[in-house]
Parts: sequence; structure tokens; C-alpha cells
Amino acid sequence: MTDSYLMRNLRAVRGRAYPRLIGSTREPSWFVFDVILPLFTIAGYAYVYKFLDARAELIGYVVLGGAMTAFWLNILWSMASQLYWEKEIGNLPLYLMAPISRMSILAGMAVGGLFETTIQAAMTLAIGAIAFNVVFSLASPVMLLVVFVVTMIALYGMGMMFASLYLLLGREAYHLSALMMEPVYFASGFYFPVRHLGFWAAAGASVIPITLGLDALRQIIFPEGIAEDAFLPLNTEIALLSGLCVVFMVLSRYALRYMEYLGKTTGRLTLRWQ
Amino acid sequence: MAVMNDLKVFKDSAWLGWQMEANWTDPFLFLTYSIVKPIAGTLILVLMYMVVTGGETGNAFFSYMYVGNAMYMFVAEVLFGVTWVIHDDREHYMTLKQVYIAPMNFYMYIMGRSAIKIAITSFGVLVTLIFGVMALGVDIDLAAVDWPLLAASLVLGLACICILGLALGGVSFLTAKHSIGINEGLAGVFYVLSGVVFPITILPTWAQSVSRILPVTYWMEAIRRAIEPGAMRELADTSGFDVTGMGGISDLTMMLYLLVSVGAFFVMSIGVFRVADYIARKKGKVDWTTAY
Amino acid sequence: MQPAVETQSLTRVFRPKRKKEGSIVTALDSVDLRINKGELFGVLGPNGAGKTTLLKILSTLLLPTSGKAYVAGFDVEKDLLDVRKRINMVSGGEISGYGLLTVRENLWMFSQFYGIKSKEANARIEELLGRFGLTEKAKEKVRTLSTGQRQKMNVIRGFVTNPEIVFLDEPTLGLDVNAARAVRDFIVDWIRSDRSRTVLLTTHYMMEADELCDRIAIIDDGKILACDTPSNLKRMVKMNTTLTLSVAGLNEIAGFDTIQGLNSYSQTKDVESSTTKLRFVLEDESCVSDIVSKVVAEGSKIMSLQKTEPTLEDVFIKLVGRGLE
Repeated sequence: MTDSYLMRNLRAVRGRAYPRLIGSTREPSWFVFDVILPLFTIAGYAYVYKFLDARAELIGYVVLGGAMTAFWLNILWSMASQLYWEKEIGNLPLYLMAPISRMSILAGMAVGGLFETTIQAAMTLAIGAIAFNVVFSLASPVMLLVVFVVTMIALYGMGMMFASLYLLLGREAYHLSALMMEPVYFASGFYFPVRHLGFWAAAGASVIPITLGLDALRQIIFPEGIAEDAFLPLNTEIALLSGLCVVFMVLSRYALRYMEYLGKTTGRLTLRWQ
Repeated sequence: MAVMNDLKVFKDSAWLGWQMEANWTDPFLFLTYSIVKPIAGTLILVLMYMVVTGGETGNAFFSYMYVGNAMYMFVAEVLFGVTWVIHDDREHYMTLKQVYIAPMNFYMYIMGRSAIKIAITSFGVLVTLIFGVMALGVDIDLAAVDWPLLAASLVLGLACICILGLALGGVSFLTAKHSIGINEGLAGVFYVLSGVVFPITILPTWAQSVSRILPVTYWMEAIRRAIEPGAMRELADTSGFDVTGMGGISDLTMMLYLLVSVGAFFVMSIGVFRVADYIARKKGKVDWTTAY
Repeated sequence: MQPAVETQSLTRVFRPKRKKEGSIVTALDSVDLRINKGELFGVLGPNGAGKTTLLKILSTLLLPTSGKAYVAGFDVEKDLLDVRKRINMVSGGEISGYGLLTVRENLWMFSQFYGIKSKEANARIEELLGRFGLTEKAKEKVRTLSTGQRQKMNVIRGFVTNPEIVFLDEPTLGLDVNAARAVRDFIVDWIRSDRSRTVLLTTHYMMEADELCDRIAIIDDGKILACDTPSNLKRMVKMNTTLTLSVAGLNEIAGFDTIQGLNSYSQTKDVESSTTKLRFVLEDESCVSDIVSKVVAEGSKIMSLQKTEPTLEDVFIKLVGRGLE
């Protein structure tokens, strides 16, 4: 207990990430449910494009977008609603009572979730690419990595903010997450280039980091579609995503502090009433 | 007397289902929630279509795809809803054991809860179809709708899906947390192989063979023939071949196939449910929670 | 000496979001408590008395509506980190942790939130698992544990961080006799082994409070009705001790009037068992030996003997006007 506050929080991050890191090895059935299930949607949409005799890169977009749904689902169900579940199963008071920053708990959830989801998404991407003969361009691996990392930091920052905002929710947490699936798949252009929504709609949807992240990733690995499908120049998208990283990290910190205060005032923080 | 009791169980569980589905918020928000999800899901396909065609939506394939996607909500939601009853009661509310030991018809309880799901889904389907016709030019002419075929196919199709859901509900006694995944998997199989948003003839030959034994394939075809006969004719004419792969099958044959499927699934689901129920009791899994 | 826990006019009011959702509840009403270091302090009260609310405020999970609360000298509203470094809490019926982790992994995970080095944490975990007879379960997933084993794990979780002050909220709730005994023994050993440690225990089990606690506060409807040692609390009840004897071969009851310290006596004959039940109300407990000698001198055989003293329940009834359960 003599260690610094920083060390204590780093240990907390590791502690909270652990169940997620170990979870995938404990329950191998995730492969069937988390990798195979998205492939049905991918296949459905890819065949629609095939039937319409669409450009090859559109099928590539579907495969990439379908794989990336894993991250959005992870944000909704394992980040945003996680503190709500923690409250239901009795862990939340124990987290709140510990002498650490609550951000460490959220960061632990994010690190663990990001790791396991990246594996899932990569597998879905690989199988989808093989099944539909998708050819990726890997000419700029560094840029690819930069875009992915920045997107994920911004996205999980948003997830941490959602987790705070969900803190006082009851059963509506489930419904709110359910409500943010299809509408976000649509608005963020998971299965078509977001540019085709029109500039202002796409700009509005860019508040969700995965919108710009997906567009940027598509520009890098499907360069043949840039002219017709790119929403903003790649560097602009990276700059905007970097801005979102900062915004969501700051907002999540404030949201968490405010919601915790609100919860402690109303007494709803540790109340299970479902 | 037993019938009256069953009806009461059905009515009461339907009421309970409604409370669980809807009482987390006010009616207006619930209504919005029930519309936004299906419309957004449909708009994904609409945009995909428009990206390829440059904004054009007024042709036969668009209507084909739109109606199929709207009707598929029944498949996904009902399959999911029936199993969700068992999953939700056991994992979240932890009331399954109390319900299970109550001296009532358990099937009726599940059916009552699911009926609400069907009602809510019907609302979503209806709104989606109206939106399609009004905003996107989906080819549905009420004067041309084959109402008897629509009624027969709706009844048989929904019965078939419900009964299949019941069998999966039985399986979920044993599979605990994966039960939802199994349902989504099966719904996914139907989505890809049953000609929901594209004709099965685009699929590889082996996959088409599988498609032809799935009742949902026939249901989708029957529904489309009933709702959008004009679009179906136009699609066949413009393609120049049996693009749906079902052209040679009469309406009557399709209804017969659906009827046989209902019977077969009914027998199977009762069997599966009973076996699962027995194994669940034997292994002590009726009130099992998985500490998700 | 600085108290381990101190509250000053601590009040907590719960207001429903909407009127139709219920009425305003005053869970704690001007509670003043002072718990010293090294004390095993009990808060005894029925369900809904305000016990858990008190613990939630002290463990920084809930803000008071008014009044102040200090833990180890730190304000629970302002000095959150200082309070949290020194405390831990265990609740009865708790199902914390993750089902897919093993017992050891769950305990390690919670220890990390307190910044304990893994090596140190693992050593403590091993020691405590051994203390509770759970070593064999260390590698099993939590979902396989029985209720008693699970609660033992929870107790270990609360103590593995080596807190100065532990809040125990009904820690033996729903446990069988052996499991409850193991938990109680551990609590007593833990606090007795280091006088700087403090335990605040809430319970509605009178025997548990009586057996474990140095001092007890009796709480009802958010108010502290009395606070003292168990024996002093029982003295508050002006109830005489009674002695009940079941005797065989007693022909005539006479001559007890001369015994000093005896208030009154009565007898009931049980024809079926050919015994007589004698009930003596004592003013002074030292007269028990005179009564027994007298009965034996009469040529009777004592079949059973029972002495009845006031209990904490009697104290509670006197203070509240109803029973505890």
C-alpha cells in the first residue's frame, strides 16, 4: 500500500482488464458466436451487392464494416452498459469503494475489450475476405496502424463516456444499447461509404469515431474507391479523430464524476431494482 | 376448463410480456424505439442499393429487397423473442423457477409472452412497409394484393417460426448463455439462404439446395407474391429467367409445404422441448444462471 | 484518541423521483456515533432500520443529506481517497466477482484495485484461503461454489487488502451454522490480533451481536435508540431472572419463603410425566444454590434446570415496543 497513486491505478487497469483477456481462452465458444455470426450479415449484404453487379470495393467495404461491428458492439454491450451490469451483479460498489480513479476501471475494461475484440474482428475480416475474394491494399501499413489506433482510442473514449452516462440507468440501459445498433450501422456507413449520406449527414455522424475511422481505413486499404467514396481527405480524418480522442477522454472523466455524484446523492448508485 | 385456464395463462403472460417490453419508458418513447430500429435497419439496404444505382429506387428488385427485409423482421424477432423469454426469466429476473413450478401450461406462458413480441414486430413491419411505399416508391398496390394468400401465408409462416422458436426455447434450457447466439445464428442462416434480400439464384449451387428445404424460403416467396405481384412479375420479365428460383412452384404447393413444415416443426418442437426439459431437470439446469 | 468512526447528526433522506413512486424515507435520523479503534462495534436493528444506509455513507458510496461522518479522521464526503485506502466492506449474500474467473483470480483482481503487489496479494490470498478451508477451491471457478463458500470468498476479499476498518453488512446472512461460525471466528481473531483494527458490523441476529461485539448500537427507523456494551444494554431491562426446575417425586411445596433473594414461586403438576414444574422469580441470583439444596433435601430428583436472563431482544422490545424479527 506504499506504492504511488499511479502504480495503484496501473495495477487496477491490469486487474480489470484481466477477466476480459482471460475470458476468450476460458470460453472458446466466442469463436462461433462472435466471429461466425457477423459473417451472416456480411454474406447477406455482400450478395446484395453481387446481385446488383456492384463495384468490387463495395463488397470489400461490407466485409470491413461487418468486421468493425465487433468494436461497436463491444462499446455498446461491454463498455456502455458494463457498469450497469456491474451494478446488477454487485461489483460496482466494490469498484467505487476502492482507492483508485474510476477511470482506471473503465480503462481496464477498454484495454481488455479492445484486445479481445481486435482478435474477433481480425478473424471475421480474414474469413469474410477469403469467402468473397476481397483484395486489400497494404501499401501503407504504418498509416493503417495509426488510423486504427487513433480510431480505437477515440471510440473507447466514447465508450468510457457512455459507461458513465449509463451508470444510473436501469432496464433502459439494455434498450438504449439495442437502439444504438442499426441506426449507428446506418449513420456511420458500416456497409456503404458514408459520403453517400450527403455531406452534412456524414459530418453529423462523424461524432461517432468509427464513422471517420471506417472511412479512413477504407481509403487506405481500398485506394481504388477514394475518388468515388472518400468522405474527407485522409489527413483531415486523422486530425479529426485525434481531436475526438481528447474530447471523449475529457468528457468521460467529467461524465463519470458527475454521474457518480448524482448517484451518491440520489442513492441510485448501488440500488438494484430490476 | 383446461382450455379456459390456458387462455388465462396466455392472457396474463401476454400482459406480463407487454410490461417487460414496454414499461421501462413512456409510451411515446417506446413507440419511437419500436420504429427507429427497423427503419434504420432497412435504410442500410436502401443506401447500399442507392450507392450502386445512383439513387434510383423505383424498380422491381428494390421492392423485392425491401419487402423481404421488412418481413424478415418477423423471423428474427420472433425466433429471438421466444428464446428470450426463457433466457430473460432465468438470467435477469431469475423468475424462471417460480414460473416453471407453477401449475400451468408452460407452452401457453411462452406463447403469451411471445405474442406481444409478434404484435410489436407487426407494428414495426407495418411502419416499414408504409414508409417504403410513401417515401421510396416500393411497389405495393393494395388493390392488387392477394389477400387470401397473404392471410394464409402469414398465419402458416408465423406459426412455423413460433414453433421453431419454441424448440429453440427448449434447447436454451441446456445452452444457457449461448441460447441467444444460437437463435441469431439460425436467423442468420435464414437471412442468407432464404432469399430475404436477394434471390437465391445468386448463391452457389450447393447453397441453393439448402435454401430449397428451408420453409422461410417458401414463406418469403409466398408473401412477396401476395403483397407485390406486380414487382414479382416485372422482376421475372426483366431478368429473362427464373430469377427467384421459385417460378415453377404454385401458390398452393407453397402453402402445402408451409403446412407440412408447421406440422413437422410442431412435432419436433414438442419432442425437443420435452427432452430438453427432462435433461434440464436431470442436470439441475432449470434455475441455472451463468453469471454473465 | 481519534475515533475510527465518528458521525455527527448524520441524516439521510431518500426522496422518490416522482410522488407516485413512494413516500419520503428518512433512513438515518441525526445519528451520533463514536467508534473507537480496536472496537468490534455492532449495529443491531430490523430490516429497513438504516443499517446498510449507514455503511454506504461510511464507505463513500452514498452522500448524507446532512450531518457529518468521519472514518479514520477523514471526512467521507471530501477525503474520499484517504477513506478508501483504509476501509473495505463485505455484505451478506454478495455475489461479486466474475463467474469465469477462479476463486484465486477473483481475489487477486480485487486486490489490484488496492494497488497490492501481486506477490504480496497472492501470499495473503493463500493464507486466507487456508484459514477458511478453501485452498482446494482456489482453482475452481466462482460459479461452482456453494453459498457458504462464496461468502467465505467474499470475506477474504474484504480482508485481503489489510484494511484498518472493515464494514461488515450482515456478513453471515443465509449461512449455515458452520459457515457462520467460521466467519465469526475469523472476525474475532482478526480484530484481536491487532488493536489498531476496527470492525463495524451490522446484523439483525441478536446472538451474533451479543457474542461478537464490544459495544452495540440499537437502531430503528433511522434512530439510534441505545448504545452500550451488551451486558449494560441488558441491564436496562428491569426484568428479573427466572429459574425453572422440572422435578420428580415432589410431594409438597413448602418452606421456600425463607430463602433470601427469592421474589416469588409457583408450581405446575404434569400428571402425564409425573413431574412438577417449579418456577422461581429471583431478586438475587445467589439464591439459586439454596433453592436447589431445598428441593434435593425434600427428597425430590431434579430432571432439568433452566435459568432465563434478559436478552438483547428484550432490550429491543423495551426500546421499540416490538420484536426484532
